[in-house]
Amino acid sequence: MIRACHLYPDLLNLYGDRGNVMAFQKRCQWRNIPIQIINKSLGDTMDFSNYDFVFLGGGSDREQKLIAADLMKRRDQFEKAVENGLVVLAICGGYQLLGRYYATGDGRHIPGLAILDLYTRAGSARLVGNAVIEMKQAGAPVKVVGFENHSGHTFLGGVKPLGKVLYGKGNNGRDGLEGARYKNVFCSYLHGPLLPKNAGFTDTLIRLSLRRRGIDQDLKPLDDIFEERARTALLGRLGLKAN
Amino acid sequence: MKLRLTSAIFAGRSAAKLSRTCGYDGSSLPGMLARVFYPPALKELAAQVRRDIIVVSGTNGKTTTANMIAGVLLEAGFKVISNREGANMISGITTSFIMSSVISGKIDCDYAVIEADEASIPDVLNNLSPRVVVLTNFFRDQLDRYWEMEKVIGVIRDSLRGQNQATLVLNADDPLVAQFQDTTGLHSHFFGLAGNENTSKVNTQTREAKFCPFCGSALVYDYFHYGQLGAYSCPDCGFKRPSPQVEAIPLGMADGLSSFRLTCQGETVPRGIMEIQTQGLHNLYNALAAFTASKLVGIDVQTILSSLKKYRPAIGRAEKFKYGNKQAYLNLVKNPAGFNQGLRTLCEARGTKDVFIALNDNFADSRDVSWIWDVDFEMLGADHKHLKHFLCSGLRGEDMALRLKYAGVPAEKIAVNKDMRRAIKAALGGKAGATYIFATYTALRPVHKIVKSLVEKRDANDQGMSSVS
Repeated sequence: MIRACHLYPDLLNLYGDRGNVMAFQKRCQWRNIPIQIINKSLGDTMDFSNYDFVFLGGGSDREQKLIAADLMKRRDQFEKAVENGLVVLAICGGYQLLGRYYATGDGRHIPGLAILDLYTRAGSARLVGNAVIEMKQAGAPVKVVGFENHSGHTFLGGVKPLGKVLYGKGNNGRDGLEGARYKNVFCSYLHGPLLPKNAGFTDTLIRLSLRRRGIDQDLKPLDDIFEERARTALLGRLGLKAN
Repeated sequence: MKLRLTSAIFAGRSAAKLSRTCGYDGSSLPGMLARVFYPPALKELAAQVRRDIIVVSGTNGKTTTANMIAGVLLEAGFKVISNREGANMISGITTSFIMSSVISGKIDCDYAVIEADEASIPDVLNNLSPRVVVLTNFFRDQLDRYWEMEKVIGVIRDSLRGQNQATLVLNADDPLVAQFQDTTGLHSHFFGLAGNENTSKVNTQTREAKFCPFCGSALVYDYFHYGQLGAYSCPDCGFKRPSPQVEAIPLGMADGLSSFRLTCQGETVPRGIMEIQTQGLHNLYNALAAFTASKLVGIDVQTILSSLKKYRPAIGRAEKFKYGNKQAYLNLVKNPAGFNQGLRTLCEARGTKDVFIALNDNFADSRDVSWIWDVDFEMLGADHKHLKHFLCSGLRGEDMALRLKYAGVPAEKIAVNKDMRRAIKAALGGKAGATYIFATYTALRPVHKIVKSLVEKRDANDQGMSSVS
């Protein structure tokens, strides 16, 4: 049984990010891997050591603030679980929140959870548009597609990027990097949502979640024609080869 | 000064002629040019409106509401200027005024009913100084363009402050709209839908406005109509659904007419049965908004009701077609709330259905197609027995097909066909008893054209057949 925790689904629900949880859940169910989705919101008790996969999306400014305060109270157990291999996917606002701070336009530093060594600065230009990154999956380079929409510009410290930018702006529009990776934590600015169209990446997360349960198995292949068609159609439009 | 207005109008009109000759619909270029030649053009033209200017904005229902109001005013015998759908930004609005003027710069009209894009509201208010501003609802819509909804709301609120000549017509059931009475301090009239047996205590849809706009506490609901629309109250600061001046109680549907009993200030309106030809709660809200605004400018109740009863949906607003002896419905879909309403209407209708969806990702559609994951297609997957085929088309047809697969629609029922005409033909010619067609903004006109031509061709064939037999 994979225990997947969807954090603040009622609040962090911008840009269809719940599609990530749907994709994760369906691809488990289609393989008869038992999965439980646990929804947690403000004030709920959370036990990160008990989850295998955590999804954290993005919200508007006000929701983001409420969540930051709520998560801060559970920061230490969250960090401990991450160090112990908890699988996390954090998108956009959730990504920024895992970092050290967010520097606003007027120079204030809003502290983050500081679980990952990275920070975000308010940018003058909003980075919006289709985006393609190249990331390694099972040792091979794979093109991952999505749509970015953020005004925060993120800079990485001692963590690896999720991938390099082939199309679009990425973390800050300057260093050609997108997202962040630390242990089993994956962060990205990509909506789309990210997981449905990039089935290989979803399966990577499922495999890691099973491993956290102590199960090391190959995943049964699925018919991914729809997924591949959606991914390659966008690649084709942007003038990129489908791998 | 007069000369400059005249030359601005001349430039605009010439541009309109030219762009139509070149095959464009010419809705924004003339206004844009006129504003370059003479920036106060719109203000001066608008100042000539003899009675009132009514501006309609909000996320969903702008076009329908504005068309309904214009219909009422025309029925009451007035001359009315209005802007066509798709021309709801400042240049398009200027175009509408220019095209209604004579070259000397004179316009001859009693009312102007103007639908305004939310982002254009500051400019529109500055130029038009409207007597009535109608706000329909706020839902997430094209976030890649408008950013978060709260920012849009803030912009509209700030630009309304100081418009002291204006009375607001507000949706009491939407906390995001109802808050405008207090945040702007303007005189406000509310419309709303009473709770009834169809309202639900819980809401599974993605919804906005979970928090009180004034104090930030979580809002509690007695019931929901859809989205965040319902009877809400804040346990901490006391903000709650205002009791509406105009309220509707649903009576039911018969012969394609939905009817409602109206109450004004809590009192039953004599002969106050409102009947409208369109399906769906969202259209009721549009009619209520139109009723309230029309009453506010002094039109008598029976004239309003008679006009609303005659109202036919505009292109792509639950528009009905007959293909052979089959019913087809065309719906414009712009955001999750509107799409959910369309799907709900589909699910509630009896019989088998084929479905066609055209998803584009041009600027006016939202370049980010993520929003389709906030639409509850799961209601289709949960009960797909009556749903025969799904044909997906448009620039992002593949994304649409993928969404349906994850909503639980069996893959063998889903097809992608980027050839729009073929896909629509297949959907209309399918075995199901009815066809539901959905199109995003920039797909609407091409889809509409194809549906019309297929319907006409089919009619011609049928007549040909019968004359042989």
